Amino acid sequence: MTTAAGLASERAGGWRRFRRPFLAALVLGALVWWSAALCRVSLDELGPALVKGIEVGGFFLPPDWRALPELLQPALVTMLLAAVATPLGLALSIGFGLAGARNLAPEWLRMPARWLIGIERALPELITLLLLVAALGIGPFPGVMALAIGSIGMLGKLIADAIEEIDPRVLESVESVGATRWQTIRHAVLPEIMPGLLANTIFRFEVNVRSSVLLGAAGAGGIGFELNKAMSMLEYERAMTAILVTLALVFGAERLSDFLRRRVLDGGKLK
Amino acid sequence: MSAAVSAVPAVPPYVLPSDQLRRRLGGFLAVAVFLVGSGAFLGFKPWLLITDFHYIVKLAAEMVPPNLALLWEKTTLRASVAETVAMAFLGTLVGGFAALGLAFFAAANTAPHPAVRAVVRALFQFERATPNLITALVLLVAVGFGPFAGFLALTIGSLGMFGKLFSDAIEQVDTGPTEAVASVGATRWQVIRFAILPQVLPSVVGNVFYAFDVNLRLAIALGIYGAGGLGFELQLAMKVLRYPDVLALVLLIVVLITAMERVSDFLRRRLIGHDTLK
Repeated sequence: MTTAAGLASERAGGWRRFRRPFLAALVLGALVWWSAALCRVSLDELGPALVKGIEVGGFFLPPDWRALPELLQPALVTMLLAAVATPLGLALSIGFGLAGARNLAPEWLRMPARWLIGIERALPELITLLLLVAALGIGPFPGVMALAIGSIGMLGKLIADAIEEIDPRVLESVESVGATRWQTIRHAVLPEIMPGLLANTIFRFEVNVRSSVLLGAAGAGGIGFELNKAMSMLEYERAMTAILVTLALVFGAERLSDFLRRRVLDGGKLK
Repeated sequence: MSAAVSAVPAVPPYVLPSDQLRRRLGGFLAVAVFLVGSGAFLGFKPWLLITDFHYIVKLAAEMVPPNLALLWEKTTLRASVAETVAMAFLGTLVGGFAALGLAFFAAANTAPHPAVRAVVRALFQFERATPNLITALVLLVAVGFGPFAGFLALTIGSLGMFGKLFSDAIEQVDTGPTEAVASVGATRWQVIRFAILPQVLPSVVGNVFYAFDVNLRLAIALGIYGAGGLGFELQLAMKVLRYPDVLALVLLIVVLITAMERVSDFLRRRLIGHDTLK
């Protein structure tokens, strides 16, 4: 009798143990099925698509090396767009970060600042760029601005959170000797958040280089624009050269940001 | 008197500009010169923000009020939202699974052969350096416009994003459990299943959820270049200059991304908090 009851409860326990993973797998499977249908994935077409893909890949070879000299300047433009946008984005983010920190800003300032940071986080940079291009026309200005504004969502939130985590005793000790708000920021807040901030800014530069390739195709200029142009004019061999230049550019930016990080920071501390 | 004057100590060295200050000033100056120089090279005119500000105001005035009625009147919009989410979801999932599988070939402690490891690592490196725009543009040529190309581009992008992360996580597992399992005669597959996978799964799941947030934004951006979905709708509304529609779509995108972030945050916390994954 005890064994039967034990067996029954064990069986029930077994079902209970497997019920949740089973249901999760079922839901996941349904979601995958539904998404695959929406994305028009069909396994029958995968074979022909692969053949077509290899055939299309052939269009891109060999790269047209004669285009290389004309592509170097756009590559430089892409890099510089990111380089100018990064410190600008940092400045904007510091503003939003200070305004969004609970222990520094009054509530009437903090709420809208946090709201704007949240909205910016949810707004893809490409959309910011398209809106700016619609207002101002194409050119480097909307490109740089879109990248700089795009930093607010990530850096602004990091800064605001970092400031809120500062030990209140540090702030109080500076305020207790009569420091003004600006002096508090300068001598208590900035030194605390600076190392992490610099590391994140340098990382952001890397992100910005990638983004500026993407934004370039939509009107910010640079190598992304050249690539998009070559593709839409069916000059695939020229596009291949642009792709190789872009790869070198992104790889170089990664190396540069590694180098800068090591140069500026020493084991999490400012050098 | 003169004796008293001479008794005044000389200016202590720490009042003079220190080496550190000089170095920092030099650094700031170099950065400033670089910025001004590259701004001039690009033709970047920061004063446009003030002189051309009325254009931004004009655009904003044209966009307000947003045509929110569009969101429930236009029935194709629902399919577009679903397409965008599906692209991001499937791309993240397939990319994540593929990356996890390949990561075992790229980690030093599980790779069958150092040569295999080098090849897979190189593949990941190359994938990581390739911007999504390139993958997407090439795929749009190969499989045609539409969400299928977007899904493939996001899959390949996720593979690059995850590959290095996962293989690093596998290399950093605690060797205690792996040795314990191996010492009782487990096969390579059993070591992976019972000693390595349980250790890396929480970080894998966390990263997959994070990547979904990234991929959702990318799915919208790729849509603008022809992968369909919400990005395409937005692009269309912009082309015909229907700015109230544009603002409604932008608001929809912001709400969608924020909501999806909440959902994925909630699910991640539930999953990682759960014992089965720990």
